[in-house]
Amino acid sequence: MVKEIQKIMEDFHVKDANMTADERNIVTLSGVCDSWQTLIDVGHAVAKVDGVKNVVSDMEVEGLTIPKKNYEPYIKKGKEIGVIDRADVVIIGAGVSGCGIARELSRYNLKIIVVEMGDDVAYAASKANNGDIHAGHAAKSGTLKAKLNVEGNRMYTQWSEELGFRLERCGSLQMVTEDRLVPSVEKTYETALKNGVDGARMVTQEEAIQIEPRVEAELKRMGKELKAALWLPSMGVVEPYEVVVALAENAAKNGVQFLFDCTVGDVLHEDGQVKGVVTEKGIIEADFVINCAGVYADEMSWMAGDRSYTIHPRKGTIAIIDKTCPPLFSVLGGITTHEPTMKKNVESKGGGMCFTPEHNILLGPSATEVPDKEDVDTTPEDLAYAMSRNSNEQIGIGNIIRIFAGTRPADFKEDFIIEMSPITHGFMNVGAIQSPGLASAPAVAKMAIGILLDDMEKNGKRPEEKPDYDPIQPPKLDFRHMTHEEQDALIKKDPRYGKIICRCEQITEGEILDAVHSLVVPTSIDAIKRRTRAGMGRCQGGFCQPRVLELLARELGEDWVNITLKGRGSNVLICPNRENAEEGGSRS
Amino acid sequence: MKEIKVDVAVIGGGPAGLAAALEAERRGAKKVMILERDMELGGILQQCIHDGFGLHRFNARMSGAQYAQKFIDQLQDTGIEVKLETIVLDLTAKREIYACNSTDGMMHIQCGAVILAMGCRERTASQVLIYGARPAGVMTAGTAQRYINMEGYLPGRQAVILGSGDIGLIMARRMTLEGIQVKGVYEVMPSPGGLTRNIVQCLDDYGIPLHLSTTVTRIKGNKRVESVTVCKVDENRKPIPGTEEEIPCDLLVLAVGLIPENELSRGADIEMDPRTKGPVVDNNFMTSCPGIFACGNVSVVFDLVDYVSQSGEIAAAGAMRYIKGELPQCPEYREVIPGDGINFVVPQRLLKDCAEEDVTFFMRVKKPQKKVYLQCISEGNIIKKERHNSVAPPEMLASKVYVNGKGSPEFRIVEV
Repeated sequence: MVKEIQKIMEDFHVKDANMTADERNIVTLSGVCDSWQTLIDVGHAVAKVDGVKNVVSDMEVEGLTIPKKNYEPYIKKGKEIGVIDRADVVIIGAGVSGCGIARELSRYNLKIIVVEMGDDVAYAASKANNGDIHAGHAAKSGTLKAKLNVEGNRMYTQWSEELGFRLERCGSLQMVTEDRLVPSVEKTYETALKNGVDGARMVTQEEAIQIEPRVEAELKRMGKELKAALWLPSMGVVEPYEVVVALAENAAKNGVQFLFDCTVGDVLHEDGQVKGVVTEKGIIEADFVINCAGVYADEMSWMAGDRSYTIHPRKGTIAIIDKTCPPLFSVLGGITTHEPTMKKNVESKGGGMCFTPEHNILLGPSATEVPDKEDVDTTPEDLAYAMSRNSNEQIGIGNIIRIFAGTRPADFKEDFIIEMSPITHGFMNVGAIQSPGLASAPAVAKMAIGILLDDMEKNGKRPEEKPDYDPIQPPKLDFRHMTHEEQDALIKKDPRYGKIICRCEQITEGEILDAVHSLVVPTSIDAIKRRTRAGMGRCQGGFCQPRVLELLARELGEDWVNITLKGRGSNVLICPNRENAEEGGSRS
Repeated sequence: MKEIKVDVAVIGGGPAGLAAALEAERRGAKKVMILERDMELGGILQQCIHDGFGLHRFNARMSGAQYAQKFIDQLQDTGIEVKLETIVLDLTAKREIYACNSTDGMMHIQCGAVILAMGCRERTASQVLIYGARPAGVMTAGTAQRYINMEGYLPGRQAVILGSGDIGLIMARRMTLEGIQVKGVYEVMPSPGGLTRNIVQCLDDYGIPLHLSTTVTRIKGNKRVESVTVCKVDENRKPIPGTEEEIPCDLLVLAVGLIPENELSRGADIEMDPRTKGPVVDNNFMTSCPGIFACGNVSVVFDLVDYVSQSGEIAAAGAMRYIKGELPQCPEYREVIPGDGINFVVPQRLLKDCAEEDVTFFMRVKKPQKKVYLQCISEGNIIKKERHNSVAPPEMLASKVYVNGKGSPEFRIVEV
């Protein structure tokens, strides 16, 4: 193993190359690479060597300072404040993994605290993805990812029914019109079979047309025939933040506490046992700490004394298309006539064309390795990639209403890491949950909780189930999807639903107030956007942002200048126009 | 659900809608209703506290709010019903409106005629492809104007403005007066997007630099804007590598164009003009849907409010003709042709057998030119010829032409 790794580093011309391996075969690499991409390639190559459990990279890049987060200020602040609470379980990170685990764990008699560095749930990767509930056909067979993807996909129906978020199980129809493209579809089918994807089958053109009648007209227009088609009926779409908000609200309903703007600076551990976390809001003692910290999970694990993987952020950029260009088909997938014009990152699934439950088309995501975990900048190159996935001639750059990017928390093994740390007992890694992390989330939570409960049981501490656990979250009111009669009845009952705040998406004051007065309080404009869609339409908040800001300030009892776009430091307004101004303020 | 019947429903209570409603009543409409989504009438004019409104119409310099008030005051002596904070959710081709507000609940309004006056909205950062981060401190000029002029707050201390359209220019001056340092106005085109008088009065008078053929390519700052990168562009508006300059600022104001708000029009399957991004209208400002009229910025983005009001009145006159049965049920049209040097003309078409009458045409030229004639040709004859010392795309031309005969009038720019 060692020789093989040394050869890899030599082949990539890593200067001052060095490697160490621990008894678990966690390999730590050091040396200087000529570029960030080389560093990534070396890590991937080493991770593929037989016997290597995972790769930690201490490698550097010539002429590049790899940004490192400084945790000292958070530690200092937390220690000054001292112990603020004690919990059975602390969960780091309020993304879909953290909130999923919190919700599933909330059925037990445990004190659970979720700490989140952002101002809201779904602050990072969990909001910045395309919401695909993948069938499980794209994950490499034999990986944990593949197993949990298929399982998680199945479990989504129950989550959706209990938690009241929208799941559209639209299915995916991958169709090709050229002989040379057939092998790739067949290969996907084989993988789907191996992974146990529900209902996956090759279909004829006639069957494809039965599934989606519009295929017929489209083929006719193109003057083509289908050469192969793969039907994946279990594929679905959600609004990812809807899922996370529902999970968090249900967890809160069942007693889970959430602390936002609460960065973890250190993980306390003693004699191989976790003791708690130092956060900027004080120290929280805990018997168990579950690490769902996304791109920062590797650093949390290191703090816990278990340096066993490195997260290399892989940025994905997505373009959202205006609803005036609706999707061609009611299924995902589509008709492919030629090879992709731009190659995707080989280690990533990369994304194509899909749509949201609101039927906005999404293009992308791209997959670009970046050194900075905070880098969610969009670039012309990434947008070009996203647009290259467009197979609809009617759609162009001019139909974009928003471009955004997020980072996938990838490790070098490119698989999920879900385990109790063998070094620090009580510290559990739920790390490297990149795509298909959203689709896998229910299975990830189930597996994590299984490990936790087994451990508790071994120590004779298996928690009781709470008799009053309530798994149900009623669906959110959405005015825009009601019939006019229903809308009329709703306004009669509560006139605040008759006042539209967001014109583009038709979001009412009532819906925004419902969100503000929910159990997991949104305090920023973006947090309101994720809960209600206000500001998500084609004007991107141009008209409604001042009104949402006004409502937030009023309901939270805050001054206007304290309201932020997306948490600390992102205040929308600087100060009143003039000191001592008598007038001004809102007209209402 | 409330069932309501009206002669004329006007969707939008801005300058176009106000003028249309008043004109409809003057022409004998019994029941006119204005449906306005905001909490007061006047539309975007209410946040325009600068002067320069009403030069043509009232021969006076007024603020936007004053201009609007002139019309709002006239409402008092009329029977026009105004519904505020009322949003129209659906419009059908059969002239039915579904609208709601807090007090009436849902309303089903059957209309003799409908006048669309919803105005326009601003293009956003994603729509002009500015890359980089998405922090606080990036907003459209209209939103910045609202925060400063109506809510009484400053959205930044050091601003960069992208776009030299009129709103961008007005905001450059406005922010300067409020103590915000305006570092410059950047314009991707080789010529300014706004009226010359605004370049002089809003930039030159305050020493604010205007950078042409330059655009903002990137935003830096994860929480609030820390800087923007500006870059020269070539003749195809593509950034020229090596010309990047990073400008520290905490506010990026976008004045990058207006888009008519035609979501309701599309819902009623009204034919749209890809050039104006508004409905195709005839000499009565009637859309492809009989009995549905469009005026103001929903039909085409005007640069002067005076024209907006005028278009409202034309539409209202048309609506009354329609109600009285003076318009053909299945209209036949002749096209109005934008000829040499003309980008588009509104109205886009004339009724084939429209009576001999004066029709006002609104048009934009393709490029700035000095000393030209605007000609209108019909059936081989020059039926109108106007001399202009200079023409430019930002300055809309309005030309009243006495239309007779059956031909398709063509407008063109000819050098003197």
